[in-house]
Amino acid sequence: MTGLDSSRAETPVLSVRDLEVAFPTPDGDVQAVRGVSWDVYEGEVLAIAGESGSGKSVSVMAAMGLLPATAQVSGSIAYRGRDVLAMSDKDLERLRGSSISMVFQDPMTSLNPVMAVGAQIAEGVRIHQRVNSRTARSKAVELLDLVGLPNAGQRVDSYPHELSGGMRQRAMIAMAIANDPDLLIADEPTTALDVTIQAQVIDVLERAREATGSALVIITHDLGVVARIAHRILVMYAGRAAETGMADGVFERPSHPYTAGLLGSIPRLDAPKGTRLMPIDGAPPSMLAPPPGCAFAPRCPRATPLCSQEIPELRPIGNQQSACHHGEDQYNEAEDV
Amino acid sequence: MLGFATRKLLISIVVLFFATLVAFLLVATVDPIAEQRVFLLSQPGGAEQIDRLEASLGLDKPLIERYGSWLGDLLTGNMGTSTDNGRDVTTLLGEAIPVTLRLVIAATVVSVILGVAVGVVSAVRQYGAFDNISTFFAFLFFAMPVFWLGAVLKDLGIRFNDWWGSRIFFTIGEQSPRLEADFWGTWADRAGHIMLPALTLVLIQLAATSRFQRSAMLDVLESDYIRTARAKGVPRRRIITHHALRNALLPVVSYTGLTFGTLIGGTVVTEVVFNWKGMGRLFLESLLDGDVAVTQGWLLAVGISVIVVNLLTDLTYGFLDPRVRDG
Repeated sequence: MTGLDSSRAETPVLSVRDLEVAFPTPDGDVQAVRGVSWDVYEGEVLAIAGESGSGKSVSVMAAMGLLPATAQVSGSIAYRGRDVLAMSDKDLERLRGSSISMVFQDPMTSLNPVMAVGAQIAEGVRIHQRVNSRTARSKAVELLDLVGLPNAGQRVDSYPHELSGGMRQRAMIAMAIANDPDLLIADEPTTALDVTIQAQVIDVLERAREATGSALVIITHDLGVVARIAHRILVMYAGRAAETGMADGVFERPSHPYTAGLLGSIPRLDAPKGTRLMPIDGAPPSMLAPPPGCAFAPRCPRATPLCSQEIPELRPIGNQQSACHHGEDQYNEAEDV
Repeated sequence: MLGFATRKLLISIVVLFFATLVAFLLVATVDPIAEQRVFLLSQPGGAEQIDRLEASLGLDKPLIERYGSWLGDLLTGNMGTSTDNGRDVTTLLGEAIPVTLRLVIAATVVSVILGVAVGVVSAVRQYGAFDNISTFFAFLFFAMPVFWLGAVLKDLGIRFNDWWGSRIFFTIGEQSPRLEADFWGTWADRAGHIMLPALTLVLIQLAATSRFQRSAMLDVLESDYIRTARAKGVPRRRIITHHALRNALLPVVSYTGLTFGTLIGGTVVTEVVFNWKGMGRLFLESLLDGDVAVTQGWLLAVGISVIVVNLLTDLTYGFLDPRVRDG
């Protein structure tokens, strides 16, 4: 399962291998992530897509060392060759916010309500750089300006509750890029926002990424977001990779029925008039006891007896990789359309 | 912040007015000369004497007029005289309030500092040895009646003094009677007297405060903005002191404000156990004697302290939480 873009010569910024994460509960272990591998390279935008509970957030939380202490993690996560999972708390603190930083889903609850946004940004600057408080503050103003907050010089002293949702998320992005990270992770950055604001925030993210030259991993269930900025995409289902490849390719010719289902369930402007949206029937499986074969089989229109017996491994199909026993059929059919 | 403070102050003044009304009305139906009445009625010419007594106290006038003149006197600092011993109510309160305030402030300061510290450590090391032990003692003291805890501490204090060979803990009164000492000597004597009653209140208060602080801290540590701070690389110690504590202090500030007000009027039991001549004692005596003027003055004094403490609580809250300031 390690064949993701192994053709590339450079070393990835972050490399995740065979990651498994389980959370013990009184009812048994919740297997949130069941063996996922991915890389993200310098300056690249990787989208991890999937529905709630597919393990997409958990896998990046693991990369940040932000999982609760009870989580059982195996596999490896390497940041520029250094094993993140083996790092001491001190090393992790040094890594977080300077080399890898993160933008969270809900900017209302993710900002400290009793600290001015400028102070929260300046704090991150002062932790990782040797600057005095005045320099940190002017850096905060600069960053707020960069993310397009009007009147940054005054807004720097605003408290989170005094800002709108979109402005708060801009402040979060400013905080995340304060130390020119190599890798920016955005966990559902637009989900909690008004539709009208979502596109703006994605643009700000893209601008912030360009300004810092960092790689970006964007986690989303919104394929519109993926289409907008992602270079590559990893589709996850039930804690495993379903499909991965260049975003354009995956959109055009999905090689996994789940990806095809996701694409069929969103409205498209270029679809012929009268095309009906096709929802995926059923619900994702319980992660307490995932099905023995392909986790998508119970909902899959292509499922055969083989699917519920044997877990399909990720393998190359066309320019992509698909974890489907019937990936070729899916891929070829997409071409015919 | 200034606008917020002014707003709160204005509200306090309105509440203060209602406090005078309630303090007056609560006891207005009590007959301050009930005892004399019984005695005088059995005497020849007693009825006239009763009339004269009523007129001198203003009891013949309608309620609203009596309230008006009471309020008018109040503004000049005159709260009337005790019908029991003829002493000036303002003087009586002036003697009792500092005694009780000393006890309540000492107990509150110590219990808040300890309570916050214990609560934070318990939360940060949840289900650790310290947490389990402090939980056990918190519930133990929380469940203990004040009079019993006071009596036990008194007994322990006396045993300690015997063992030590000299008197460290005083068990009776708020200071030694007829003490002649300089400023420091007086306060040293008061310190010896305050330890056991204050400890009684501290142990019971500490139980609640530390539990409050613990649960507030646990809530805050689970919150998204703490995760953000971690993602920013903020060291764990700084997360606790700069991000979590300030947010987790808010419920404890409210709770402390509430109990401080209650304590000023509510230390009756502790004061009686340790023979303190404070507000609790004054209330008990005035109530038993049917001493209307003193009871009214007492109610008002406690009302004012509750209002002042609430104002201070609101201001502290506003200082800690910007959302409240603007609200």
